[in-house]
Amino acid sequence: MTARPLRSRLDFWTVVTGLVLVLLAILLILPILRVLMLSFVDADTGGFTFGNYVEAFTRNYYLNGFKNTLFVGVMGTLGASLLGIPLAFFTARFHVRGRTWISTLAILVLVAPPFIGAYAWIMMLGSNGFITNFFEALGISIPTIYGAHGIILVFTLKFFPFVFLMTQTALNAVSKSFEDAAENLGCTPWQRFRKITLPLVFPAISTGAIICFVLSIADFGTPAILGRGFRTLSTIAYAAYRSELGGLPTMAVTISIIMMAISMLALVAQRRILARRRYASSLTNLPVKVRLTGWRNVAMHLFCHGVVLIAMLPTIVVVYTSFLDTNGPVFTGGFGLESYRRILDDAPTAIANSFLFAFAAVVLITAVSALVSYVIVRRETAAAGSIDFLMMVPYLVPGVVMAIGFVTTFRSGSFNLIGTAGLLILIYFIRRLPYGVRSTTSSLRQIKPSLEEAAVNLGAPPLKAFLKVTIPLIVPGLVVGSLMSFITAINELSSTLIIYDSGTITMPVRIYLAVLDGEFGIAAALSTVLLLCTGVCVYAVFRFADNRDSAFV
Amino acid sequence: MSSVEITALRKLYGDVVALSDINISIPSGSFYTLLGPSGCGKTTLLRTIAGFHRQDAGSIEVAGSPIEDLPAYRRDVGMVFQDYAIFPHLSVRDNVAFGLRQRKVASAEIARRVEAVLKTVQLSQFIDRMPHELSGGQQQRVGLARAIVIEPKVLLMDEPLSNLDAKLRVDLRAELRRIQRELGITTIYVTHDQEEALAMSDTVCVMHGGVIQQASSPLEIYMEPANRFVASFVGANNFLAVTRTGASAALASGGVDLSGELAGTSGDVVAAVRPEALRVTAGRDEADAGGLAVPARLREVSFVGREMEVFGTTEGGEELKAVARPDPAIVDLHPGSEVTFRAPRSDLLFFEAGASGRRVA
Repeated sequence: MTARPLRSRLDFWTVVTGLVLVLLAILLILPILRVLMLSFVDADTGGFTFGNYVEAFTRNYYLNGFKNTLFVGVMGTLGASLLGIPLAFFTARFHVRGRTWISTLAILVLVAPPFIGAYAWIMMLGSNGFITNFFEALGISIPTIYGAHGIILVFTLKFFPFVFLMTQTALNAVSKSFEDAAENLGCTPWQRFRKITLPLVFPAISTGAIICFVLSIADFGTPAILGRGFRTLSTIAYAAYRSELGGLPTMAVTISIIMMAISMLALVAQRRILARRRYASSLTNLPVKVRLTGWRNVAMHLFCHGVVLIAMLPTIVVVYTSFLDTNGPVFTGGFGLESYRRILDDAPTAIANSFLFAFAAVVLITAVSALVSYVIVRRETAAAGSIDFLMMVPYLVPGVVMAIGFVTTFRSGSFNLIGTAGLLILIYFIRRLPYGVRSTTSSLRQIKPSLEEAAVNLGAPPLKAFLKVTIPLIVPGLVVGSLMSFITAINELSSTLIIYDSGTITMPVRIYLAVLDGEFGIAAALSTVLLLCTGVCVYAVFRFADNRDSAFV
Repeated sequence: MSSVEITALRKLYGDVVALSDINISIPSGSFYTLLGPSGCGKTTLLRTIAGFHRQDAGSIEVAGSPIEDLPAYRRDVGMVFQDYAIFPHLSVRDNVAFGLRQRKVASAEIARRVEAVLKTVQLSQFIDRMPHELSGGQQQRVGLARAIVIEPKVLLMDEPLSNLDAKLRVDLRAELRRIQRELGITTIYVTHDQEEALAMSDTVCVMHGGVIQQASSPLEIYMEPANRFVASFVGANNFLAVTRTGASAALASGGVDLSGELAGTSGDVVAAVRPEALRVTAGRDEADAGGLAVPARLREVSFVGREMEVFGTTEGGEELKAVARPDPAIVDLHPGSEVTFRAPRSDLLFFEAGASGRRVA
């Protein structure tokens, strides 16, 4: 048999795969590598050094930041789990009145701008907060919100929805037969929960917890607003970046790398634990909900509604405050729209920019995530596998890190490749792309590949088959993904704070600056605008998503 | 209409040989079935013809011109999928028209051809339905209509009936064959269901381990299997050990002399006899001149109405199964009773020992 030369053809999806890899290399890998390299540079001589890491792990200033970060991260995660797991168990296994209401509130807490919680708590429990003042009038002195305990409180109330929603979804998928079998073999209800149900939902709980932990580590707004001398790595990195402006931000990037390493180690540890716990679930026997009576029922309802209401408090306070009459930074008593008038005078650029940048990023995200999802789901190549892996990276890279990477890679001194607005759009794009990809991917996995094959077989080239058959079928996934990335993009603070200039200020940055200045009226009005458009997006997700609760985590 | 010529086709997945030196010649208008257990390579071969897999070597010619280097969307082979693959967002009309629009056929012509083909598959009244309003059988008819309306050179069908229930499967089987005959379209059909293969095909090609075992008419596949794999996969078969001493050969159980049948052969062989060729009598009988008699102990008799299935074990431990007309004298026997399995000598076939040993006599 003579060997035929195989004509090599560059088919459409191979080209797409290549382009996606190039895009990720430039916008994701390059900035991270740049940060990594800079952390080994001596700021004074420009030579190679381990000195930055030595300094980070020997100087008390940095060491304390490291310990503080781990402390609030672990305690916040613990707190979120202590609220989220019982809440999930109650709503999944018992009749709870207003279940939909509870999960809606939890979702609103989840998507609300992350820094709102921090300053709303200042308004309640700060040194001049109304709750503080109320107790002071009674002659009782209560501890203020500033410091580690305040940060932990905010993290707990902010991040518990991740644990709650993921655990709830998992509990709803545990076949009742397992629990029946355990009972049949002699388990009491408590033993059954401990020996069967809890282990089965452990993967979901740990995934929820790891998200809480990673977000806590990376959070900038909360410790920046509530810290008051209690510094975490993200505020230290930001401060270092500010003070190193003009020089090489070597300490800022070193701290950034340490933050990233913590997140990645936590994720790797969780994956290793989970690797041995994969449970196939065949959902033939749906779980049933039990009706509690008497004081247990009352206590359960108090707990469920109490948790979500307290978590919603900051949002309520913010909206309420925005309608208080002000004169400059001072609340004058009574209601009025003064704050809204002031943001229109004061911050029209911030409002316009926020919508413009988020919208531009989402257009890119929607287009790219459709292509990326197809590559991940349908192509079984090593390149597709590495794209799938790279889609996890933005979750793990704190905004401060990514922003420093972007600035040092694409902008230095007078060299500003694409302008600050372009830089912001691209950083929103790369940081929020995984939200779009995740939603589109799960939509695409439900589409049989034979549908695309049928289109190709009938004469449609790959791109045409994709546009005429695949795209129409994954529209819901694309819409949900776009909305999710829009919500998270328009609320972005930490990266923007590093990159922005006066012409490219956004609403979250303006809110942050207003809070630092004590301009709570402006902050509240801007936050309410953000909350409103977030709420509209959430409502739209409810309309489009197959499973309204799991679309958000 | 077009003939199909596949020459020296080879496909590897890493070190695994999915298709090994496939040579197939299908005359124009013929119904050619690829039959085999799962993993035998039949679906890989079909998808390679469709262009969804790329061969490592070899050629595929349709109507004399090579297609193996064309992308799937330019091959002009219709395909019917196991899971129907009806586009859920398009109506029956738009599903069927999809390939015609792709070929830039004029819209009046599209309307005419869509209506005509839906009439052929008896779905005219469903033309404006959406796929989710159709049953599985109706969806598969749409799949067939969509594939044949483009008048492809070859029609490929990948287990098109396997997702349907048994009754519908038999009905649709006859209809598929009728439509295929009417259109005279060259068809390659993949199935793991031997009854389907035997009932529908002009040629049945039995595959195993990426290798073609035998490609013949259904009758020949059944009556004259080329090797032991085909003999055991298509229909059931009993295999009995043969012992050789010098030039003479005999069945290990019952000692029937086979020297005549096996004259001129050598090496280890086994004898095969179909269950329906065996009769069963109670007790131990001598062999009659023209036939064989294998003594055995009864293991089980199951009476299933039209026939009885008799299972026995020979002294050497070989399992035997006979399918015969129900006989009260046998049905009432207790397990462990002595019985004799009988068959005419002419019903014996001989194969080399080993799982896919060649036929020797």
